[in-house]
Amino acid sequence: MRTTFLGVAVLLATPFIVATPSWAVPPVKLALQGGKIIPVVGKVIDKGTVLIEHGKITAVGADVEIPYDAMVVDVSGKVVMPGMIDAHSQRGMDVSNENAPVTPFLNVYDSIDPSKLYFEDALRDGITSIHITHGHNTVIGGLSRLIHPIGMTPEEMTQAADVALKISVAPKRGSDRMVQFATLRETFLELDDYLEKLAEKKYEESLEEKDEKIDVGPEEAQKRGKELIKFEDYDDKHANLIKLTRGELTTFVYCDRAGDVGRAIALAKKHGFFDRMVFVLGTHCYKAIAELKKAERPVVLGPELVHRERDSLTGKLVETFVPKVFADARLRFSLLPSPNTSLAERYLNYQAARCVRGGVSRSRALKAITLYPAKALGMDKKLGSLEAGKLANIVVLSGDPLDFSTWVEQVYIKGIKAYERSEDVRLKQLFGDDPAEVSEEANGDADKKAEEKTNGKADEKAGDAAAGSDKTDATTKDTPADKGESDSNN
Amino acid sequence: MKARQRSRTMLRTWLAAWVCLGAASVLAADGVTVIRAAKIYVGDGSVVEGGAVVVRDGSIVAVGADVSVPSGAVVIDLKGGSITPGLIDANAWVEATDRLVTPLPSAAAVLRELFHDPNHNHAGTVGCCGSMCPRSYMHADGAKCSSCGFPDVPPVLAAGTRPSAVSAEQSSEVIPHTCVIDSVNLRSPDFGRLAAGGVTTVFVAPDSAAVIGSRGAVVQTAGATSDRVIREAGAVKASMGTDPSWRGMSNNMPFRQFVSFNTRRPTTRMGVTWVFRKAFHDAQRWKKGEPRGGADTACDSALKVIDGVRRGEIPLRIQARMQHDIMAALRLTEEFGLSFVLEEATEAYRCLDEIVARHVPVIFGPIYVSAPGHRAHAAETHRNRLHTFLALLNAGVETALTAQELRDEDGLARQAMYAMRNGATLEQVLPTVTQMPAKLLGLDNRLGTVAAKKQADLVLWSGEPFGATSKPVVVMIRGEVVVDRRKG
Repeated sequence: MRTTFLGVAVLLATPFIVATPSWAVPPVKLALQGGKIIPVVGKVIDKGTVLIEHGKITAVGADVEIPYDAMVVDVSGKVVMPGMIDAHSQRGMDVSNENAPVTPFLNVYDSIDPSKLYFEDALRDGITSIHITHGHNTVIGGLSRLIHPIGMTPEEMTQAADVALKISVAPKRGSDRMVQFATLRETFLELDDYLEKLAEKKYEESLEEKDEKIDVGPEEAQKRGKELIKFEDYDDKHANLIKLTRGELTTFVYCDRAGDVGRAIALAKKHGFFDRMVFVLGTHCYKAIAELKKAERPVVLGPELVHRERDSLTGKLVETFVPKVFADARLRFSLLPSPNTSLAERYLNYQAARCVRGGVSRSRALKAITLYPAKALGMDKKLGSLEAGKLANIVVLSGDPLDFSTWVEQVYIKGIKAYERSEDVRLKQLFGDDPAEVSEEANGDADKKAEEKTNGKADEKAGDAAAGSDKTDATTKDTPADKGESDSNN
Repeated sequence: MKARQRSRTMLRTWLAAWVCLGAASVLAADGVTVIRAAKIYVGDGSVVEGGAVVVRDGSIVAVGADVSVPSGAVVIDLKGGSITPGLIDANAWVEATDRLVTPLPSAAAVLRELFHDPNHNHAGTVGCCGSMCPRSYMHADGAKCSSCGFPDVPPVLAAGTRPSAVSAEQSSEVIPHTCVIDSVNLRSPDFGRLAAGGVTTVFVAPDSAAVIGSRGAVVQTAGATSDRVIREAGAVKASMGTDPSWRGMSNNMPFRQFVSFNTRRPTTRMGVTWVFRKAFHDAQRWKKGEPRGGADTACDSALKVIDGVRRGEIPLRIQARMQHDIMAALRLTEEFGLSFVLEEATEAYRCLDEIVARHVPVIFGPIYVSAPGHRAHAAETHRNRLHTFLALLNAGVETALTAQELRDEDGLARQAMYAMRNGATLEQVLPTVTQMPAKLLGLDNRLGTVAAKKQADLVLWSGEPFGATSKPVVVMIRGEVVVDRRKG
């Protein structure tokens, strides 16, 4: 009743509301009521309420008092869980790696294409945060960005900018490990060299200002000049590396084989970024589990989860389910969805289900797609579980997340409803609910290739249509628009 | 990336083979085995709660909640889990040779690996001389290849998973006198992979390259080699649409007598229909002893088989994906009064009424959102719909589900899982991978359900069958444990 009253009130006010994309207008207070809540941290609540205020979760529990002015969404019979997080994705950008091996000055911001269908797919699959980063085919890549899959520009999509730098200790294509490490060492040597020269130059400049001539040897000049350097003095090429060596930047380090792990740790310790390093591991790396356990750094696994190796002598094949090894070592790992959209592995919750099938505990498997990636990204204060104070990135599922028959019903990002299955035009078409089918046949069989080319436009249209229909759904419009506010963590 | 996947596939195959070899000796076939589970899914839709299956001499002796367990019987008990009949894939595309043991990546796959070009999207096409399209790796996503015309012209052989090229006989368009069993290596690791996924019986489908292709075989995926073949010469496989036609598109002059797909007719759907029709007319003329002639006249031994199909003695399969291909199949079979089984039927949702009206059984699948394997390159698979399978079931069409060439985690069990995600219930899906394929293969008297006197082909799952968190733990063929994952 309360909602209806509010609805009518806002409906009357509708003409005064500036038309904005539907996702940009979050209700001030929102209550998801009656669903089974899997908060990931803490116990499962069989029937409870998640209260959201100003895009943040304010209460989760079985008997949460719902404020009189909150918009209530009945999710009884459904399952509510935190939005899933893709901890390492190259999709959503045009090309994942440069030809140049060392590119710490690059930023994926310049490469993100919000019109990519991938983002729509991510919503459909229940992924609310995507860490877009450079691919493995690099030595030192650029800065990454954590985005949510809604928004018309990279700024609007941003949850956190410049999250991490990418380093690969596995050889860039066309080189081997020796070249890879030589390049890495050379980069840091060159950085030292650059810093010395910069310090010397700064000292000289400071003397010139006072019309004095240099009075000490180069070593002393470097020492004195060091204190004069401000961060702005560093050029683009070196600034991020300096942040890295000061431990101010998270680093995603890709290791392909077990042998890479030790070398990566040594490199990180030597250059001061060990405390902020996150391992992205190929399946073979499970053999370095002792080193990884000692390092106790976050680990990103996948999308391939089974390591298969044939004994060259006996021909016997050994299959290892990698997440089980990490779970047994009590290491926190994150899972990745497969970029191959024809496979069930594209769904993060299915990857978690595979883990359970392979002997990993249910709670750890669920954390591997929510809380642990948030921790790896340094965003666990805001993301990764349903707890008061965190961002309201929430997925409403039709059933248990580890049951493959479960569908994503609704997705909320910062309290904004970003996806509703019953309004998913594309999904409906895949299930035969396609009003265009008849007229299309009359017009001759349009080739799907042509469709794909206009997909971007279709996206916009679908978005507009959704925005249009939302105008009648006045309950979502009870606040002035605070559109485009991005939560930059720069 | 593809090359890496191939090598993984190879490794997986090896594992499966070892699993089979290692486990085969665990049980003596003449002993009595009792398998217990929380649930027994009979395969016809019914469920027995908390029961046991008693197996003796390769056959099921008793099924039920309170069966008497003979003393000295070997007991397999997971303290939970479920039992289903061994899965049956009625349209499996088996790598018939040992190709997977020593895989040679295609030239395009090598180039792809070398140049790491994420944008190239096809493996190139084989020219009339058999060489690979030189531009296959040089054009960007979506752009037309200046050399081979892809994507406007589909490539001849796509990289990655592909139909069993070895069983694609090239000598004629009408080859029902050839049998795919002659190409099948029963020790191929591919069978081990099938068994590891819970599939116990397959119809080894001939390739779809010929208009009227070879005869398929029904084989078991594991067990003693002498017992493996259930039917040597099974259904004749015919194909509609582009599979048999576009391989003739570059209809060039034969190069040094090199007769291949590229030098043969037909080149269009019209041609495919014509070849089909001519073959059946020729068979009628052959029967009457009348002379036959013209291009693509099949040999007498082929016509003899076609005559058998015409008289309903030999079953017929027709592969048709698009709506107009399905309609063509319905038209042609009506013309000659044939009964047949429809394969793939990707666009069945567009002509459901016609299929229902003719009472045509369908072996549907695989289910996908984006086409996997060679289908990704076929222009016929773009209009798949996720509700098709359920629509067929709801319309009362006899429907079986197939994974075709998909294996391992992506195999038939996952197809059932997809079907359930798309709205079908377990009660609906299970018969489509057990009882119904058995019926369509004419083997429902011995396979397809967990019932007394049936052959003991069973799968013991760790949880609910086809669940995302469960897997086949024990697979049994003729009472013999062929896959055993009880120790992890």
